[in-house]
Amino acid sequence: MAGANMKAIKRRMKSVESTMQITKAMELVSSSKLRRAKERAEQAVPYFHLLYQTMSEIAAEAKGFHSMYTDLREQGAALLVIIAGDRGLAGGFNINVFRRADARIAELEAQGREVVLMTVGKKASEHYAKGKNRILGTFDAIAETVTTYATLDMAEHITSLFEQGHLAMVEVFYTNLVSPLTQQACDMKVIPVPYMLEQDGPHSLTAYEPSAEAVFDALIPKYLSGILYCAIVDTFASEQAARRLAMENATDNAKEMISDLSLRYNRARQASITQELTEIVSGANAQK
Amino acid sequence: MSLFTLSILTPERTFFTGEVQRLVVRTSEGDLGILARHEKYVAALPEGPMRIVMEDGSVRLAAISGGMLKVSPDHTAILANAVEWAEDIDVDWAKRSREDALRRKEAGSNLAQLQRAEAKLRRAVNRLKVSGMKPE
Repeated sequence: MAGANMKAIKRRMKSVESTMQITKAMELVSSSKLRRAKERAEQAVPYFHLLYQTMSEIAAEAKGFHSMYTDLREQGAALLVIIAGDRGLAGGFNINVFRRADARIAELEAQGREVVLMTVGKKASEHYAKGKNRILGTFDAIAETVTTYATLDMAEHITSLFEQGHLAMVEVFYTNLVSPLTQQACDMKVIPVPYMLEQDGPHSLTAYEPSAEAVFDALIPKYLSGILYCAIVDTFASEQAARRLAMENATDNAKEMISDLSLRYNRARQASITQELTEIVSGANAQK
Repeated sequence: MSLFTLSILTPERTFFTGEVQRLVVRTSEGDLGILARHEKYVAALPEGPMRIVMEDGSVRLAAISGGMLKVSPDHTAILANAVEWAEDIDVDWAKRSREDALRRKEAGSNLAQLQRAEAKLRRAVNRLKVSGMKPE
């Protein structure tokens, strides 16, 4: 009986060990992907900083500035761009952003607005394919190698729908990498462009060509593409960080299980030896 | 000749930064030359070529796929979706993306699709054009 028990424990240990090898490997892969994603996110900073600064200068400085992108329209649908991962096994990473987006969808629909969606990442497409909201586009498995061509394409699609009057607002749901240990699901209201710097200072003498409005409107797809690019890269980095953490915990749990199992194995082994000895001794005694 | 600081930024990286003598870009209103001490100026840039006269007087040519030019007193910046030096342009790839854009234009059924195909076509044609240009 003890022998069978020992065998079962041994088998269990083997299976836990091989799982641990996998989780360990996934942890290593995620941490190297995380490092690269962080670098990519940091390289985008100077560009978007200057872009944002220029747009806020235009909004703040140009006299009588007005753009269709700054007004809230009564008509038209709300577009939510929901960015999640392509894979699971990353703790609550995907669920958190869906929960946030679902709450917003319910809120907008209660206000009587139609909600349409764009999803980035396989998990997001799967989650919303079942829902009742119309899906304008799904972008699966692009996050790791996302380029600004891809995001510009998305942004131009969105702005042309906006210009035709189909959309009234655009919001992006993504996950922000606060630190390698914390990721937070966030949302960003992109269109109408929130008033950036409301200041009534002296108007500077910058020349805009062809006009402040035209430059501003031409920058919108780039601004949107920039936000999408940053959000996708940020989400990807968060996904890796979340997975690294989940896998680290899994590896730790596996280690704990193995030490627990080996303790039980040794006890069973000792018990069986003790039992055999007792049997031999009592057998020998009976012979006398 | 006086120099000014130019930086060319794309979302993926800082493409170029340094002191230059002159910059010539194509704005929506036509070609525009920038020298040191230019007035404050902002313009949208469509797809087009760009020439830079470097500190040592040599001229480099690049293709811009749309962006923005911003001149401030201390600093001139170009924000572009993508920039490539003329000599680095992958002609085969540009040709393929031109074919792809033409196919999409044929197949496009709504305005949005057509506009996007058109933009893609403009970018591809610009890259092909610039790759065949001489710096001077």
